[in-house]
Amino acid sequence: MNKTPRIATRSAASSDQLLAFVQYLRGKKIPVSPADTLDAIHVAELLGYENKKQLKNGLAATLAKSQHELSVFDTAFEHYFQARPAKPSATQPPHKQGEQTGQTPDQASPTAPSVLEGTPDPLDGLRGNALFDALERHDETALSIAIETAAAEAKVEDISLFTQRGQYVRKILDALGDAALREAAIELEQIEPAAFEAVQALREQLRERVRDRVERAYLIHASAKTEDLLDESLSKMKLGNVDHSHLARLKRLMDRMAKKLAARHGRRKRRFRRGKLHVGETVRRAIPTDGIPFYPRWRKVEHRRPQIMAICDVSGSVASYAKFLLMFLYALQDVLPRTRSFAFSAALGEVSDLFARLPVEEAVERVNLKYGGATDYGRALADFSALALAEVNTATTVIILGDARNNQADPRLDLLAEIKARSKRVIWLNPESTRLWGTGDSEMLRVKRQCHVAHECNNLKQLERIIDKLLSDKR
Amino acid sequence: MPQAVNAHQLENTVSDTHYPTLGGIDAIQSAFEAAGYICTKRIATVIRLAAALEKPILIEGPPGVGKTELAKTCAQVVNRPLVRLQCYEGLDESKALYEWKYGKQLLYTQLLKEQLGDVLEGAKGLAESMERLHQFGDVFYSEAFLESRPLLKAMETENGGVLLIDEIDKADFEFESLLLEVLSDFQVSIPELGTISARSKPLVFLTSNDTRDLSDALKRRCLHLHIPFPSIDLEARIVASRVPELTQSMTDQLVHFVHAIRELDLKKAPAISETVDWARSLVLLHANDLDGRLVQDTLNVLLKYEEDILLAEGQLSKLMAAVKKT
Repeated sequence: MNKTPRIATRSAASSDQLLAFVQYLRGKKIPVSPADTLDAIHVAELLGYENKKQLKNGLAATLAKSQHELSVFDTAFEHYFQARPAKPSATQPPHKQGEQTGQTPDQASPTAPSVLEGTPDPLDGLRGNALFDALERHDETALSIAIETAAAEAKVEDISLFTQRGQYVRKILDALGDAALREAAIELEQIEPAAFEAVQALREQLRERVRDRVERAYLIHASAKTEDLLDESLSKMKLGNVDHSHLARLKRLMDRMAKKLAARHGRRKRRFRRGKLHVGETVRRAIPTDGIPFYPRWRKVEHRRPQIMAICDVSGSVASYAKFLLMFLYALQDVLPRTRSFAFSAALGEVSDLFARLPVEEAVERVNLKYGGATDYGRALADFSALALAEVNTATTVIILGDARNNQADPRLDLLAEIKARSKRVIWLNPESTRLWGTGDSEMLRVKRQCHVAHECNNLKQLERIIDKLLSDKR
Repeated sequence: MPQAVNAHQLENTVSDTHYPTLGGIDAIQSAFEAAGYICTKRIATVIRLAAALEKPILIEGPPGVGKTELAKTCAQVVNRPLVRLQCYEGLDESKALYEWKYGKQLLYTQLLKEQLGDVLEGAKGLAESMERLHQFGDVFYSEAFLESRPLLKAMETENGGVLLIDEIDKADFEFESLLLEVLSDFQVSIPELGTISARSKPLVFLTSNDTRDLSDALKRRCLHLHIPFPSIDLEARIVASRVPELTQSMTDQLVHFVHAIRELDLKKAPAISETVDWARSLVLLHANDLDGRLVQDTLNVLLKYEEDILLAEGQLSKLMAAVKKT
């Protein structure tokens, strides 16, 4: 639809555009590696930049690696590349200069003023200046190439704050050679007011284009940085303090962490399927073949499947942390195939099937509803022992999340000791900071002795680190 | 120069690839259509790129949208042999790459035992005997004893074939790493023999039903193609090309019905293959109008779970209304 003339530098400008687009995609959390970028450039060279739909199909094949990424890519592509062709239609109408209205834009306009006045046109001095010509002829292609080049020169992609916009607009204008136009305008101001107006109008147009360019750069480069900053601080914030409005973001962040962990640890499943040579059996099988071992037998290495049992306090003070722990554990289902979860406040009950059936958020709500009440660790541990102690074995990791504040009741450390003895590991996660352990009715210091490890755990970063460690020595 | 490449020139620049019969994007579309596979612009673009960039295509999408079929049709279009590797849990290199023919090796050593005396005749001492044996090199680890499995076979095909690695998500994680060498360098390393490179690079298709995430390393090496359920028009074209016996109006009704049924909350939504099966059965039944009774009797062709069938039967009047509206 946009029949812009082909210009030799177009492909260079376009591949710069492509690089900027890749930046933009990274900002949208699509991981694009340098190798992918090279592929994308190859693809663009093969397919050309003219047919947008074709280009989009081709780029999608190299840059979007999953269905989710594909949908992000599709909107990003439309958003990013649609901004450009929309420009000609946006800038063609504004013939603010009075003397040019009524004329058809392209060829007519350069000659128009001189015909009108009959005397040598005062603007003739400026003709030949590439920038001026492009502006006057509304040469979209030449202008956008010039602006892209100048933008690259001014390193506009380094922009990080909104307030830096003016500064970058200035830089780009300088790089474009606006200074020459400005000087010409100053000269004309006294002698030819009409021409002065015309030049100023064109300069204003140019400034507007540049401003658009800078703002787009800000959106692409800086907004991504801002997002990163927000993610970073959110992952270090106490989960209990996270504002409701940030929950969705936190959930996304957690999913990303879970995915990363799953990718890091998932790969080692069934590494040693075939064990060493089973010598005895091989020799026995070799008897019919005169002792020549035609049919070797291998030992099988059997893994005891690791199991995780999570016991979570869901009483008011700790509930939000329990929610995140459970969400995290269930986001890792690919890597942690057998997770059983128990929730308690006063009484304890198994909630695994709730999580199997319902989306995590809803399951957590249900759990809170069912088992909420005044905390009693002693009773909870007794219930747990009755329910699942028989299934705790050397492949089991027991994770207990709670603040160990037991309202002065007996925490039944004997039961905890038994669980410790039977299991591979008991990990206690406490949302309270270590400084508060053992103060008031906290039994944490006593509880700690009956666990293999006890951690303070109240933000996403800590949670990630603990689960990472858990997965690393899972086997 | 790249900026000047447009659809017409694409036709001319493909001769540099191994697959001269694959033309530009439009040519691919029509060639596949002639072979009975209706492909969208996106699919054709990706195939074009795969041939030009020599990269494998990773096809994802729900079961039955024609992922495997695409590879088969491609082999047919370029007229090269198709090597297929079906993945499953526990697939390892001895099933996918190569295996030493252990039995044959053992048999030969037994048969050649007598020859050993001749070879070593006159040799003085252990050192000299060893020397002589070394002269024979690794006779038992040579190509004669090598059993090629699909991946190696694809490397050995002359003029490049089409390699289909089906349902890669069913294989273990380790298997993916095994594939990396094959997919990026088109070579197989055999410790005893060295590296075997592809005679000419095959076109590689990987399919995945998305039951798990594939590793980034694998994804990075592939062009990514997601085939969703087709639009109504596309599906009607597909049915028309696969089951030409069916009348135009029947085809339309049938496709609209299938699209309406996909909107339901089904355990397994019917895919293109089921639509085509259904169309075939309707032809067999000599049906010339889609009515409620006929649908009820043949619903089991379209839906594969009892609960889905019950659900659809409950909504039948609504579904039929969607068909009749058109």
